[in-house]
Amino acid sequence: MRDVTGQVFRFAATMALACAFTMLVIVCAGAPPFQTLTLIFVGGAGSTVKLAQSLSVWVPLVICSSALLLTFSGGLWNIGVEGQIVLGAIFATGLFRLTEGAGGFHGIALGLAAGMVGGAMWALISASLRVWGRVHEIFSGLGLNFVAVSLCLWLIFGPWKRPGIASMSGTEPIPESLWLSHLEGLPLCPVSVSLSVAVFLAVFTVMKYTRWGLTLRAVGQNPQAAEIMGLSPKRRQVEAMMCAGALAGLAGALQVVGLYHQLLPAISSGYGYTSLLVAMMASFRGFLIPPLCLFFGILNVGSIQLPLRMSLDTSLGGVIQGVLVLSLLLVQGVEASIRKMHSRGTEYDRRAAD
Amino acid sequence: MRIDIKNLYKCYGDVEANHAVSLSLEPGRVYGLLGENAAGKSTLMRILAGYSRQDRGEILFDGRSVRLRSPADALSAGVGMLPQDPLDFPALTVWENFMLGGVRRNKREAVRGLRDLAERFRFVLPPEALVNSLTVGERQQLDLLRLLDVRVKVLILDEPTTGISLAQKELLFAVLRELAQEKDRTIIVVTHILPDALANCDEILIMRRGRLVGQLARPFAAEEIVRLMFGENVYLQAEACHKPSPVEEVLLSLENASLVGEKLVLTGLDLSVRSGEIIGLAGLEGNGQELLLKGLAGIARIGSGKMVFCGKELQGRASSEFRRSGIAYLPMAKLEEGLFGDLTVEEHLRLAFPDRIGDTSELFQRRCMQDFQLRAAPSSTAQSLSGGNQQRLLLSLIPLRPRLLLLEHPTRGLDISSSRHVWDHLNKCCGDGASVLFSSAYLDEILARSHRVLVFHGQRLFADAPTSELNMETLAHLMIGRGKAA
Repeated sequence: MRDVTGQVFRFAATMALACAFTMLVIVCAGAPPFQTLTLIFVGGAGSTVKLAQSLSVWVPLVICSSALLLTFSGGLWNIGVEGQIVLGAIFATGLFRLTEGAGGFHGIALGLAAGMVGGAMWALISASLRVWGRVHEIFSGLGLNFVAVSLCLWLIFGPWKRPGIASMSGTEPIPESLWLSHLEGLPLCPVSVSLSVAVFLAVFTVMKYTRWGLTLRAVGQNPQAAEIMGLSPKRRQVEAMMCAGALAGLAGALQVVGLYHQLLPAISSGYGYTSLLVAMMASFRGFLIPPLCLFFGILNVGSIQLPLRMSLDTSLGGVIQGVLVLSLLLVQGVEASIRKMHSRGTEYDRRAAD
Repeated sequence: MRIDIKNLYKCYGDVEANHAVSLSLEPGRVYGLLGENAAGKSTLMRILAGYSRQDRGEILFDGRSVRLRSPADALSAGVGMLPQDPLDFPALTVWENFMLGGVRRNKREAVRGLRDLAERFRFVLPPEALVNSLTVGERQQLDLLRLLDVRVKVLILDEPTTGISLAQKELLFAVLRELAQEKDRTIIVVTHILPDALANCDEILIMRRGRLVGQLARPFAAEEIVRLMFGENVYLQAEACHKPSPVEEVLLSLENASLVGEKLVLTGLDLSVRSGEIIGLAGLEGNGQELLLKGLAGIARIGSGKMVFCGKELQGRASSEFRRSGIAYLPMAKLEEGLFGDLTVEEHLRLAFPDRIGDTSELFQRRCMQDFQLRAAPSSTAQSLSGGNQQRLLLSLIPLRPRLLLLEHPTRGLDISSSRHVWDHLNKCCGDGASVLFSSAYLDEILARSHRVLVFHGQRLFADAPTSELNMETLAHLMIGRGKAA
């Protein structure tokens, strides 16, 4: 019971703090705060079309955040998720070019599989460096993100450029037989949504109910004890990274077949970093992932309205996201230090109970 | 400066780190503070240096009661501590480090101050060198000069001799003796290395399980010090302990093996363990007992030589394979090395007994409650358990039919009846053909429970003797490197 009140309190404190900070930022930018916030939320969820747009952002966010739930549980900071998305998109596009658009259901399935392979391989580099090369995955991941983006640009401007021109607008679109169909009149692809729901449920179930999930959590908690207990922590960490990479790759491939139908320089749209924020906020509480992603998706789509209607920059959406995460971390930090101050009492209680 | 400590208490959770400690330290002397791991010596010194605060009790400097709220507080009262790992700024130069925390001055004055002090104590510390290019010993010298520069009257050194060269060690103690004599400084050296204390200290204080158990002056009797450090559990003398009799079959053998640890390497180990045998590991801390256990568990690397277990060579294999072969290892640092803080008791059982998924409640009843008397719900997390219950949980996780049990201090933190229970269980395992190697801070536990004792001294396996040939006195003798070596 105390736990639930704590959660509610934490949530309320975070929201209050985040609102206060956001207001401050908006006021500093010289805009009316309430009107601006209303504009963002109406812009992201005000109509069916808007909501569909937000949901199409939700898809990669949910998949990547679920992927990060795996690596976080295993004690890994998979910053490289961004690059893994890009590699997924590249591999899918590459496969379509190889098969020259032999299409239909099998073509799409193969493309998604190729994306997963690409993401998993990219993650394997980070994982190997971590496990055998003692390079922290934050550094390798960050480095590989730059490499992935450069690789993408090189392909778009080099080998995969459109006949005659090479431009930021991306590669030649893939054949229409490889497009995942959209809902009538809405920018939303039902297959992508179902896939992301499936991914989320699968990850949630694996972490909560399987021995592999339990082992992974144990490894993340205490690799030394895991070693002593014979749980092969290194192998588990490599597996977690590769699974996460495969999922991120799937998200990247879905961006190609479900949304853009071509390889773009900004194919990942920074969703990898956004899902890092989501995963951090959810911190092991997997059930928070879908609502948080929806919220972030709405923010993302809603802030597109800002330059049009308020002559504010779209980056305000990003600022709000950042402020939200910082507020949560701050509330958690304050809570931890309060708990530490009181911990002496509880430790004595424990002693009496022994 | 004269220091009086009166009736000092300090608890960390359910661990009583200091219990009713009272002592007086005179100026002009070098004191050695001895004790096994977790005896409470570091806690006492950290309180004296302002790093933590006592729960109860009084500290007097030159007869005046003081309250130390921070290390800076202690420093301004004249107490400085050299921690085990140098507290410096590796990316800065020697003179910059020297200047930090001292009086405000410019570079020329700082360099001159550093030079003068270094020359006086025969230290060679180039002012412009980066601290991360220095050896541990040199960094310690720099730390020492920094404290002397702010004119400390009490100097505490925590394990100062680990990681420094022999020449540096000799120089350090020569300087400490000089410092004690001039200006009546009080010097306290915390150590678990007996020969260092014997050779260099005027008085030796001994702590065991949070209490001060002895204060001895020269001439020192090393055997007495060892006995005080390790103590005796009276209960074991009262009863003749039942021991299962080992069979002839060799379960484990090491052939000319070397084990590579973080701080030391054991070489040329030859050892054979019979099925059903219980072997006690004795020795002052840090001489290789832990490393032997870790090596046999597959956690520390076997550098060369062979380890044959049940007819199978295990060197170079993964630790999971060691465990699959029936080797179980119980680390000393329970929550840090052996358990998963946020996971529940039930989840621990599921991890430790993978083939038993589904019926953990039966396992919990029999294993945790009956065999090891764990007092906790299956849903409690490991970190919410008391130290004793964490130990019981760790014991519950030992495989059901182990072949070899490697135990670091298996009964630490348990009361008498629980530790008897644990031994009943271990004896039963041995009756079924398993072997036990264990280390203990209680010499009488080692003598009462084992068939054979391996004594570690001077960071090597020093003696290997059947328990029937040993008593407290001869064992203590071997532990300080006297008597017959194996």
